[in-house]
Amino acid sequence: MSAKNMEKVEQATNRKNISLPMSRVRLIMKSSPDVSCINQDALFLTTKATELFVQHLALSSYKNGSGKETNTLSYSDLANAAEESETFQFLTDILPKKILAREYLKSLEEMEKDADNL
Amino acid sequence: MDGDSSTTDASQLGITGEYMAGSHFVLAQAPEDEGDEGLDDHEDGNGSKDNLREQDIYLPIANVARIMKNAIPQTGKIAKDAKECVQECVSEFISFITSEASERCHQEKRKTINGEDILFAMSTLGFDMYVEPLKLYLQKFREAMKGEKGINTVTVTEGMGEELTDETFTNPLPAGIITADGQQQNVMVYTTSYQQIPGVQQLQFS
Repeated sequence: MSAKNMEKVEQATNRKNISLPMSRVRLIMKSSPDVSCINQDALFLTTKATELFVQHLALSSYKNGSGKETNTLSYSDLANAAEESETFQFLTDILPKKILAREYLKSLEEMEKDADNL
Repeated sequence: MDGDSSTTDASQLGITGEYMAGSHFVLAQAPEDEGDEGLDDHEDGNGSKDNLREQDIYLPIANVARIMKNAIPQTGKIAKDAKECVQECVSEFISFITSEASERCHQEKRKTINGEDILFAMSTLGFDMYVEPLKLYLQKFREAMKGEKGINTVTVTEGMGEELTDETFTNPLPAGIITADGQQQNVMVYTTSYQQIPGVQQLQFS
């Protein structure tokens, strides 16, 4: 077969249409407690759902984002999406909102002052 | 230096420490820093799986980033920490769905998590908008797997009238063709075996 045909056959057999490694997804699934066997369908569905999830999360956060001149999807866009959307609530623990260290230290100082004033 | 990857020690993370999270002391990298590469390079060298805890296993960042990029408008950009963050969210999502599905399995005294469990978990956890598209994708996947096994190789040559383009598989199929109850209506004629006949230039498929 010519090189071009090889490529086409490869495309045809690659029609499973996923872009994430299923083996890695399986690893993550198995790290959950009490998980013994995962059948092929379940693995595929999880992998595909994960893709949809990434798209969903990225797009929601982006649209909801700062929206000003910056057309960049930032961490805080994601943190905001987690807080504001019911669907992404489960992410709030791993997406804590960030504040600048100096602001935090300032509020710490103020808390200490209040404590002293009591 | 190994052990706790969620260290809060600024010197270990090697950052100039500009950011902290409200009540959690999560030190993040200031934007201008090179950043800690440690977390996302688990591609190879998975030899010592025992040392990897649940939260350490991520999907490759390149794949994740690519999916994100294709989801947002073309002119959009993605901050590096956003990519890493979504990588972690993804692992969280997978674990989230899996434990819900696993629980249902246990309740029904079954050992193997199947497709139904996954779909049910998604519905329960607020992702029911994924369920219908996923069923369609599963159909296509099954077709693809079947096509690879027994039938003679599909030789796709320039002589064929109909090209197997990616579009064939990414566009949603008309509702009438795929039935959710598992029956497979093989309307894709070009998956049947085909022998290359020299000299034949054009073949039309209806």
